[in-house]
Amino acid sequence: MTNSSPIAQDFLTRGRCETCPVVDMHGHYGPFRGIYFPSPYADGMLRAMDRAGVARVVCSSHTSLVDPERGNREMAQVIRDHPDRFLGYRAVNPNYPDQVEAEIARFPHDAGFVGFKFHPSGNCYPLTGDNYLPALEYAHQQRLIVLSHTWGASQYDSPEMLGEVAPKYPDATFIMGHSGYGEWDAAFGVARDNPNVYLDLTAAYKVAGIIERICREVGSQKALFGTDLPWFDPYYCIGCICFSHITDDERRNILHRTADRLLAPFLTGSQPPEGKQERRGSD
Amino acid sequence: MRFFDCNVGFGQPPNAAATVLRTAEELVRELDFCGVAEALVHHTAIRHESAQAGNCLVVDETADHARLHPTWAILPPQTHEFGTVHEFLADMRRHGVGALRAYPAEHRYLLNGLTFGSLFEELVPRRIPLMVGPHWAALTQLLADFPDLTVIIVGHGDWGDDRYFRPLVARYPRLHLDTSNYQTPDGIADFVGQYGHERLVYGSGFPPFQMGGALLTLARADISDEGKEAIAGENLRRLLREADP
Ligand SMILES: [Zn+2]
Repeated sequence: MTNSSPIAQDFLTRGRCETCPVVDMHGHYGPFRGIYFPSPYADGMLRAMDRAGVARVVCSSHTSLVDPERGNREMAQVIRDHPDRFLGYRAVNPNYPDQVEAEIARFPHDAGFVGFKFHPSGNCYPLTGDNYLPALEYAHQQRLIVLSHTWGASQYDSPEMLGEVAPKYPDATFIMGHSGYGEWDAAFGVARDNPNVYLDLTAAYKVAGIIERICREVGSQKALFGTDLPWFDPYYCIGCICFSHITDDERRNILHRTADRLLAPFLTGSQPPEGKQERRGSD
Repeated sequence: MRFFDCNVGFGQPPNAAATVLRTAEELVRELDFCGVAEALVHHTAIRHESAQAGNCLVVDETADHARLHPTWAILPPQTHEFGTVHEFLADMRRHGVGALRAYPAEHRYLLNGLTFGSLFEELVPRRIPLMVGPHWAALTQLLADFPDLTVIIVGHGDWGDDRYFRPLVARYPRLHLDTSNYQTPDGIADFVGQYGHERLVYGSGFPPFQMGGALLTLARADISDEGKEAIAGENLRRLLREADP
């Protein structure tokens, strides 16, 4: 093997890298209609995380993408059970505006949620639509993270649509799920042009050469490790990062440094920004 | 682990791609980067240009690379584009081609007994592996017609396809799967626990897939070292040893 990266060597031979923890910014939870998961629940997810040295995962439950009230409640319980390992995105379903308001009202009362999960394609509702506005405004006011599914050429959540929304809410942090898969030039442009937009590598990591392009054209400090866990084995994404033609410094940025920085305000021991106490996690 | 990748290609695709390895030399460098010993190879022209071009190019361009083993596409025997079935098999022997690939979508045919009966009747006793993408309905019918055909399903995954392939794996002992896109957490361990380690073969799907994903997933799978070595290369070496065009 001519790949001389010490990080790659560690993952290959030991299964984890003690000097490079991993933070997963795009997870889910529970069974899903179209796929067999051997391990869809917390115990199995934690086993996969422990083996690969994944310190934390930020999740939205599959249920929450359909029925936010039931699904976010489920996610809140998982976070209460494992506050050091699980954080959450509170999903909103824009097809039911009263439920969006209800989820915003509940936001301060559940520990460990760092922001919102949007799945415009899954809900067949455009990311630019009015029903997302209350959640976007709340995320901006409270300096929360919004992870939105994005996909190339989607009529609901293309990279351009995220590029339209993100500059209007500069105090919110936007994570472009799957890096706008397929519409790479547009996605990278939006991430470059907007300081509050980050690229999630989930599924995108698999495309040979994409990680190198992100590091070159956007910067490794704008890319985030993600797996859709329990969909994808953390080792698959880690393997793609380890065997990309990038530096170990870039690998560290992707595997944990940027995520550490984004999550710091939500974790115990860090100083909450003024007046933002209610949004912190309780772990 | 002595990795033998069952599923890699090289050559220039028609559209822009983030990674393009035009030559076999470039592919060998990438295999070296990832510590992969050898590979079953196709030329990307096989999909994007024509089966004829791909079959020629892969033989020509891997001739100087003992670590790269060429694979060929099949076409319906009725159009005689590769001569008769026996001429095709003789050409395979002459050029050291030990495995075949089917592209029913790109090459526009139906992968069934009506179309390929005369070829598959020859492949079965010769134990020549046929690599096919995850065309579940076609595969289910094909295996019903040719239960002893040696098949490697390549590139299944994305939405973990176990509900499709497990009934086939349980029924047909000559059916194998590559691991290029088998990303399900605990998927390999769960599969091996049920069916043993003989039915999986390592593949990366490069390109378009990155080479390291499937590699690290197998290297760190929660199975025995013996199982890992088998999936990494020994199963494929055994299949190719058994194959006799
Ligand atoms: Zn997701």
